[in-house]
Amino acid sequence: MAYSDKVLDHYNNPRNVGSLDKNDPNVGTGMVGAPECGDVMKLQLKVNPETGIIEDAKFKTFGCGSAIASSSLATEMLKGKTVEQALEIKNTAIVQELSLPPVKIHCSVLAEDAIKAAIADYKKKQSALQASQPVSK
Amino acid sequence: MEGTRCWQCGQPTAGALFCPSCNHLQQPTSDYYKFFGLPQKLNLDPGDLQKRFYSLSRQLHPDRFTRSTPTERQYSLEATAILNDGYRVLRDPVSRAEYVLRQRGFDVGEQRSKDVPPELLEEVFELNMALEELKVGDESAREQLEESRARFRSMRDEVDSQLQQLFVRYDESADQDSANAILQEIRGVLNRRRYIRNLVDQVERELAA
Ligand SMILES: [Zn+2]
Repeated sequence: MAYSDKVLDHYNNPRNVGSLDKNDPNVGTGMVGAPECGDVMKLQLKVNPETGIIEDAKFKTFGCGSAIASSSLATEMLKGKTVEQALEIKNTAIVQELSLPPVKIHCSVLAEDAIKAAIADYKKKQSALQASQPVSK
Repeated sequence: MEGTRCWQCGQPTAGALFCPSCNHLQQPTSDYYKFFGLPQKLNLDPGDLQKRFYSLSRQLHPDRFTRSTPTERQYSLEATAILNDGYRVLRDPVSRAEYVLRQRGFDVGEQRSKDVPPELLEEVFELNMALEELKVGDESAREQLEESRARFRSMRDEVDSQLQQLFVRYDESADQDSANAILQEIRGVLNRRRYIRNLVDQVERELAA
């Protein structure tokens, strides 16, 4: 299958490959996968506790070119957004940006799922943190 | 099918492939179970299925239709295709289960990640990391891969025996609701199996390389 130029660009020069400390309370980790093709995607984001803005995002994806490009683009889209804004990111935006063909739409869905999973993990950590901290007057 | 009549003689056929009155070939059903004359069970006797396949193959042999009308020849071609596809699908327990799932309106194959057990994802991720290390020439990863292979194979065996038990429960289910609940479970196990099979294949490929 022919990949679009943008997919090839992200595939050959993936942005933000790597990992963040998953034990950091300001880091959220999302791990998702697609059984049909054996893809697995790990996406992490780090929120600045002062500003509430996502200041870093990393990913590591094993899978086809479209899955790698989708997660690479997703990390770029995350940076500079608040958590609430990040939740608004839809897979259709990834499909459009990368011109993904219909058979590869599930790759963009996977990236959206990874964002949601990472944010859910971050929120879980934050509420656990708040519950364990004494209320200051 | 019950109400159908023979295209040739007009007598009721009761869904039979060959008219009970005039023995002309009828338009074949596309339902594999019905085509083979089997109830929709997930456990099938492979020997019985094979016998049915051979018997139908003889009955549908092209030589028998050389002097037939175009209609009947057309039906014989359709029936042969259904015979071969159906045999391939029903012979294998996994494709058979997937077939029944689709027949009952479950989607198969395009699952989202929420269907995948999280611990399995971690496993896949770690395996892929090890595979990558091996590719860049780190030989210590080989031992890790051999361990993974053993683990994945036993996972696969475990999943297969789970499926076997679910097949029995499906075949014994008393009503549609409980049958559907078991199919839902089977769908989950099949997802898991697909993932594990990918892992086994991947590890075996790398170890053979
Ligand atoms: Zn007849």
